[in-house]
Amino acid sequence: MFFHIVLERKIQLHPRHFGPHLRDKLIAKVIQEVEGTCSGRHGFVVAVTNVSDVGKGLIRDGTGFVTFPVKYDCVVFRPFRGEILESVVTMVNKMGFFAEAGPVQIFVSNHLIPDDMEFQSGDVPCYATSDGLVKIQKDSEVRLKIVGTRVDVTEIFCIGTIKDDFLGLIGDPTAGG
Amino acid sequence: MGHRREEEEEEVEEEEEEEEEEEEVEEDEDEEEDVKSNRKRKYKRSQFIDDVAEEDDDEEEEEAPRKRKHRRASEFIDDIAADASDDEEEEDEGEEDFIQDEGTDLHEEEDRQRMHRRPFLPRDDQEDVEEMEKLIQQRYSARQDYQEYDEETTDVEQQALLPSVKDPKLWMVTCKAGHEREAAVCLMQKFLDLRTQGQDLQIRSAVALDHLKGYLYVEADKEAYVKQACRGLRMIYSNKVMLVPIKEMTDVLSVESKSVELAKDSWVRVKTGIYKGDLAKVVDVDHVRQRVTIKLVPRIDLQALAAKLEGKTDEKKKAFVPPPRFVSIAEVKDMRIPVDRKRDPITGEFYDTFESHLFKDGYLIKNVSTKTVTAQNIEPSFDELQKFQKPGDEKSSDAVGLASLLANRKKGHFMKGDAVVVIEGDLKNLMGIVEKVDEDSVFVKPKYRNLKATLTFKDKQLCKFFKTGDHVKVMSGKHEGTTGMVVKVDAHILVILSDTTKEDIRVFADHVVESSEVTSGLTKLGEFELHDLVYFDQTNVGTIIRVETDGCQILKAVPERPEIITVKLRDMRKKVFDRNSRTQDHFMNEISLKDIVRVLEGPFKGKQGPVEHIIRNILFIYDRHYLENGGFICVRGRSCAALGGSRSSANVSNLATNLMKLPLGANASQNRGSFNGGLPPPAGGRHRGRRREDGLIGKTIKIRLGPFKGYRGRVVDVIDSSVRIELESQMKVVTVNRDQLRDTEEMAPSYRESPRYGAGSETPMHPSRTPMHPFMTPMRDPTATPFHDGMRTPMRDRAWNPHSPMTPLRDSGSWDDANPSTWNAGTPQYQPGTPAGRPYEAPTPGTVWTSTPTGSFSEAGTPRDSPPYGNAPSPYLPSTPGGPPMTPGAPVYLPGTPGGQPMTPGTGGLDAMSPIAGGQETESRWGLPDVVITLRRPGEDAQIAVIKEVLSDGSCKVALGQTGTGDVFTVNHSEMELVVPRKSDRIKIIHGDLRNATGKLIGIDNADGIVKMDDTLDVKIFDMSNLARMHS
Repeated sequence: MFFHIVLERKIQLHPRHFGPHLRDKLIAKVIQEVEGTCSGRHGFVVAVTNVSDVGKGLIRDGTGFVTFPVKYDCVVFRPFRGEILESVVTMVNKMGFFAEAGPVQIFVSNHLIPDDMEFQSGDVPCYATSDGLVKIQKDSEVRLKIVGTRVDVTEIFCIGTIKDDFLGLIGDPTAGG
Repeated sequence: MGHRREEEEEEVEEEEEEEEEEEEVEEDEDEEEDVKSNRKRKYKRSQFIDDVAEEDDDEEEEEAPRKRKHRRASEFIDDIAADASDDEEEEDEGEEDFIQDEGTDLHEEEDRQRMHRRPFLPRDDQEDVEEMEKLIQQRYSARQDYQEYDEETTDVEQQALLPSVKDPKLWMVTCKAGHEREAAVCLMQKFLDLRTQGQDLQIRSAVALDHLKGYLYVEADKEAYVKQACRGLRMIYSNKVMLVPIKEMTDVLSVESKSVELAKDSWVRVKTGIYKGDLAKVVDVDHVRQRVTIKLVPRIDLQALAAKLEGKTDEKKKAFVPPPRFVSIAEVKDMRIPVDRKRDPITGEFYDTFESHLFKDGYLIKNVSTKTVTAQNIEPSFDELQKFQKPGDEKSSDAVGLASLLANRKKGHFMKGDAVVVIEGDLKNLMGIVEKVDEDSVFVKPKYRNLKATLTFKDKQLCKFFKTGDHVKVMSGKHEGTTGMVVKVDAHILVILSDTTKEDIRVFADHVVESSEVTSGLTKLGEFELHDLVYFDQTNVGTIIRVETDGCQILKAVPERPEIITVKLRDMRKKVFDRNSRTQDHFMNEISLKDIVRVLEGPFKGKQGPVEHIIRNILFIYDRHYLENGGFICVRGRSCAALGGSRSSANVSNLATNLMKLPLGANASQNRGSFNGGLPPPAGGRHRGRRREDGLIGKTIKIRLGPFKGYRGRVVDVIDSSVRIELESQMKVVTVNRDQLRDTEEMAPSYRESPRYGAGSETPMHPSRTPMHPFMTPMRDPTATPFHDGMRTPMRDRAWNPHSPMTPLRDSGSWDDANPSTWNAGTPQYQPGTPAGRPYEAPTPGTVWTSTPTGSFSEAGTPRDSPPYGNAPSPYLPSTPGGPPMTPGAPVYLPGTPGGQPMTPGTGGLDAMSPIAGGQETESRWGLPDVVITLRRPGEDAQIAVIKEVLSDGSCKVALGQTGTGDVFTVNHSEMELVVPRKSDRIKIIHGDLRNATGKLIGIDNADGIVKMDDTLDVKIFDMSNLARMHS
């Protein structure tokens, strides 16, 4: 789920940046430091939309660096258990398949794939129904439900299921789309 | 023990009573003394003496003095005779004593009782209440004290109870096997019979142990007593009586552990025979005969059996243990082995028998002694249970699992907060949370709206409950320590997806707990750790890819075919330390640990990752996208290519010259520094030295004295009073005392041969070598360092550039605050909106500071075509390591630094102060038609291509393939990299006056290429960076 929230961070800036473009530098640095990071509480920071408040800087002894408390608005993405996501399959193996929904990696175990779909190895490993109408392979788009999340320092890993109504393949790379 | 404690408590009470009554009751003093002495004796008493014996003990001590007299008198008489006479006399005495003692004992007992009966309240009713209260307090406080003391000292008391020399001894007597109990009972009977006759056996006790066949223990003071007691008993062979040493006495009677009752349907393991270690299920137990009927998966070699029946015996195959397999009777009949069908007279069940084996439904039914099976700590793994499960017998699978689960469940495995589900009884399937756990009951708060009360369940009625998606940790069994997420819940069996290996694991719900921790499971076994390279068996080597409780899974060093074996700890011999190992890749480039390589051929083609181990010419590569074998791939070094380096054989020779030209340490750091960022460069000392002796380093001096007198050389390093000098005439570095140098030091002449700036360039590299403290490096004063020189004369050493691999710094620390030159260079690039669309620090010439020399990274030198601020780590695009994009123009500012890039030579004469020139203009310059390039585009493999056309905007039209016959793309210069020509390649000159001229590379001398020009047929020498390979 995406959220637009206000976060705060202390940014260290080298004194050489002090000048007319200080604020720009600061913004750039916030963006550089923050975008793409992940925290267990907020999830992935997808984009910084606005730097709303820059506090008073504090000069660090010794280094001359200045620490600014910066408040910024950002869009974060955090997956939740039970959430339905649309994702792109990145890898298929006999244990299941990996899919990505933006920055989040989701694993769908073969236990969580409907029983009528079976793994078919070969050049392009895939999960397919016996009639071959539904085929999940690399680059397929899949709608899935998250059943569990594990939050590490730098990533969020999810386990998903497509064993439910309206879940499963939504786009097929072979269909020409 | 319970009995004993009671007694002690009694005594305590007595004591208190004694105390309180001391003033009043003084008459019983004698008696009390008696009681006390009695108690003392009791403490001494050994554990296994029963009460009768204890009484004997008392009398024994009383009559001890008398006995001693006797013995003294008979010292010289034949022992046995003496003993015998003793015995007789003692018997008489004993008899008397016994009666007497019994009297006293009774008396004592009576006394005790009387004391108990005594009311603790004084009979004096007039006593006031206060005194009474005081009395009570006194009484109870005293008691408490005592109890505490009591608890603290139980250990000590236990020690005191151990048998000592004074206690009666334990004798081991042989008896008829299987009649031990009978013998013991006979002895007891004899004792009683004799007592009625007024005689007494001098033994204290007789013990028959179930686990000891053919022996009986008799407790007595003397061997003779034992012999006498055993005399006349048929089943006891009293001629051999052995003394049990005092130390071992306790072991005889201590119970090792509570024996688990063999119950029907429980799991056991066979201890002996070909079924040793096999799991078996108890079918029936005969406690009386100590036999148990078990059900096994048969290990029968039908072929051998058939052969045997036909008379062909093959003795050689004795050692072979057939694998467990279900037996199909039809199959047996096919082999023409006669099969009988028998009916068990008791149960009425039918069994198939052949060769005296009993079979039922494919299982082997065996009747064995209880001793040949163990029922303790049986934790059948899921696999074992599944094997035990007969295929096609699905319906009972649940029962099998559950039974085993319950039968082998440890006590107290439920914890507060566990989610549980009731699996038995009226409330089956009710879920709840454990609130409290008692000895044998679990209090559960049900998760049911209308059921508020806490319910009590037995351990066995509950099972842990998990939901799909829960993160759990396995607490026992083979997968102990593994964590993962529950993928599937199948009653009490969970399927877990391991966090690290991404494998499915099947475990019992009972064996896991909920946990947010992430571990790879066990990582250490003995001295071996996960991912270690180890020797095992005789000659095999492999990398540990998984650690289990008693062994490791090892990926053998067999390239091109993953071979995994499980090795027990004892078979693992030693770790291999390969930190300094090197080998060569497909292009003869050197590979060391942590270099990133790509597999070029074989089944793992296309995989890439850092080299984790090198053994001989075999590499172990860790590819985190490879899910099997823990991500490890074993390949031959020759079938890999180190990434990031140029693929020229010239590289090797160049490397060699590097070795010669640079001090060894510097070279090493060059080769290895980039990836093991953590390793401090070995050149650390030099830097310290440099700072102190700035003036000397890099200068050419002459040695005045010593064995190297008269030699000239360049100062490489100054350490205190010694100076390391690279000699000009010999390819080596020598250490010379400072005072042996000539005072007159001249600056190095600027002839090309002299590599002094190569070394000098190490100095400016300083900040990048110590990326941890980039801001502290006192590099602010460029005049102090030779790098300034370099800036002015970069052409000179540019030759180094193309041949040296380089790596972009991998972290985003290249924000590069430390680098004043960056800042001085001043400029547009800093603005986020740079037209170049580059990451915002990228095109800064100064970034070169952060690039480490060396390396091997696929994306080296590939400016990433990422959006501004692209340095944000993007773990999802693994093929683009988050390094800062390299600036094409950058390396020229570092003369002699092997950090250069082949594609950037044009910037040679550039001044640091004019960074504008560094960008596009120069870039656009080198691209020429027909030049072979390496096309590197983010997210794609490097490809060889040929420039077809140079467009006016600086980009080029390239065609894929060595010959330029493939697809045509339009690419930027930043995505291209020159292919360094090899000897006898056709080349094109891309810089300088002769730009666009063609020729043939007839030789390579270090960084110079000897070229035979096409038009003039002149032989000319060019800097290698000026040469580009042409497609043929």
